[in-house]
Amino acid sequence: MRTWPTALVVDDHEGFRAFARLILESAGFAVTEAATGAEAATAAAATSPQLVLLDIQLPDTDGFEVARRLTAAQGQPGGRGQPGPVIVLTSTREASDYGGRIAASPAAGFLPKDQLSARALRGYLDGGGLNGEPA
Amino acid sequence: MNPRLRAALIAAALATITFQLVTFYVNGWPGPPAPLFVVSATVVLAAYLGTGIIAWQRHPADKIGLLFTLTGYAWFLPQLLSLHYAVPFTIANGAAFLYQGCLGHLGLAWPYGKLRGRADRIVVAVNYAWNIASPIAANLFWNPRATGCSAACPANLLLIDDSPRLYQDIGQITTLLSFPVTAAVIALIVVHWRRSRGYARRAMNALIWVSIPVAGYITVLNLADVVDLSRYNVLIYQVGPLLLAAPPVAYLAAAMTARRARGAVSSALVSMEPGPHPAKLRDALARALGDPALQLAARTAGAAAFTDTDGATVDLASLPAGRMVTPLDTPGEAVLVHDAELRHEPELIRVAAAAASLALEHARLQAEIQVQLDQVRASRARIVEAGDAERRRLERDLHDGAQQRLVTLSLAIGIARDRAAGADPDLEALLESASKEARAAIAELRELARGIHPAVLTQTGLEGAIQALVERSPVTTQVRDVPAGRFPAQVEATAYFVVSEALANVAKHAQASAAVVTVREQAGRLEVEVSDDGVGGAQAGSGSGLAGLADRVASVGGSLTVHSPPGGGTRLQAVIPCP
Repeated sequence: MRTWPTALVVDDHEGFRAFARLILESAGFAVTEAATGAEAATAAAATSPQLVLLDIQLPDTDGFEVARRLTAAQGQPGGRGQPGPVIVLTSTREASDYGGRIAASPAAGFLPKDQLSARALRGYLDGGGLNGEPA
Repeated sequence: MNPRLRAALIAAALATITFQLVTFYVNGWPGPPAPLFVVSATVVLAAYLGTGIIAWQRHPADKIGLLFTLTGYAWFLPQLLSLHYAVPFTIANGAAFLYQGCLGHLGLAWPYGKLRGRADRIVVAVNYAWNIASPIAANLFWNPRATGCSAACPANLLLIDDSPRLYQDIGQITTLLSFPVTAAVIALIVVHWRRSRGYARRAMNALIWVSIPVAGYITVLNLADVVDLSRYNVLIYQVGPLLLAAPPVAYLAAAMTARRARGAVSSALVSMEPGPHPAKLRDALARALGDPALQLAARTAGAAAFTDTDGATVDLASLPAGRMVTPLDTPGEAVLVHDAELRHEPELIRVAAAAASLALEHARLQAEIQVQLDQVRASRARIVEAGDAERRRLERDLHDGAQQRLVTLSLAIGIARDRAAGADPDLEALLESASKEARAAIAELRELARGIHPAVLTQTGLEGAIQALVERSPVTTQVRDVPAGRFPAQVEATAYFVVSEALANVAKHAQASAAVVTVREQAGRLEVEVSDDGVGGAQAGSGSGLAGLADRVASVGGSLTVHSPPGGGTRLQAVIPCP
């Protein structure tokens, strides 16, 4: 099993971050946490995570904006130079509640929070599957 | 007018008319005049004396009544000729043309009896002097008994020297010099007419029409003295005098027009819609009063200046010449600024002012109601908006609060289940069922939140939100033309609820196989239409979901129509203003 050294969990809800950390660490990730968009930018610059689990609703901004900034700062995933992070958006809402905004964002995909699992995340990373929403 | 003065004038007029008739027939010399002349002379006398009384009564402050009266008596004096005595005979001869002097005065003082300037006064004075002096001068040398008058002829008391030649020469010269005097009077009348504006113009138009026969007749009379027109004697001396009745007739006609103008003011206002716009009221009054420049100006409480219906500032302290102000009897301050000539028609102004006050008061009340209506509309919109905001907040709170905790709980159960896997199958099964319950709770809460407020609408606008609605609809639904842009939250929410409610009805009642949703942005409004091919017969009655929807659409100033003939499908249309 390949391991991914770093993952960044961006969510203002502390309880969710704790469980996400548990799930990710059990899958072999070294996890960093951020509670706001601003913290996410700082943490991403410091740790260059391969995976970012990014809540859409944040207290200071929204996940779409954070995703845009992270990719703009670090280049497109799979592009030349330093590879950017694989960003997976999350929300307590469903993907359909965001219409076309998820598809239009640079994020690799979307995962409803209640369906968070190591396996689902691997779907994005192993296959490089950018559209691969877990069944 | 003083009733005594009026009684005296009427009595004098009747006495004079009677006296004239009596002199014609009892004392008539050298025999009764031709019947046609009797009629003409009586009509002219009665017309002037009668109009004098009426004009005096109508405008006691003006001199026009006095002028008519004096002209009437001046006309009477030459008829004294029929009295077979030296004094009246001499007076009649000496004052033969006095009435022409009076006519000039009347023409230049038309229509209110006031001369306008120095030129007027000079011409009037010359005209009087000429018409008094010329017959007296001629009579100084006229001996009636020596010029064909029989012995029965009364004596000419003015006679100083019997000189038929002088008499004839003076007569010829004075007659010739009469033409320029008449021409001067006419010229000034034309000047007055051309300078007249507004209400006075009507009266001056009448004077022009009157001057033509009167001046024409006087000219012909003068011509008859120097040219042989004896073939037309009957026409000139018996019928002709009737032309002199034109001024009183015209004056009476103008008086009746003024009376009709009062009626026109009322009917112009009655025929208007209730609570007319002040500009329309002004137009109606301007037409009725014959004063195109009429201004209806008002000053709101606390404002310094009056403003007219065109929004222009009106300085009452420095009005243009010929304008005057009549205040209106309204709670607010309002005035009519009108032609100063209208002061001669106080009754007309009173009616116009009363009508304008009434209409303004009506307009004010209507404006008040409109303000209240606007306030109610605004408050309704605010209430709906506040409701929407509250629903948005509830939806967000559900997701941030209970939903978030449920999700965390579900994740915890999942982790616990994974850890129990293989070690304790019973516990794993238990945790698996707990996990299912938690997910079901999450799904239900999500549906509940979506029903409270669709997050997708806030997130992406109408296009995505309607797409989401259509995807969830059990009836095959096509979306046409939903604008991709964003609109004010109220507009988006209203359009969304229209589509949502309509699609819910399609699914519940229509038994339709297909539906179409169309949203178009057009000329500052959003047109939303949902149609289906179902059974129709939908009613927007009270208590139905459609009635609530109509209220919702009305809250943003829009309208909802339902076209749903039985068996003919249903078409729901909402028009939503979109600033």
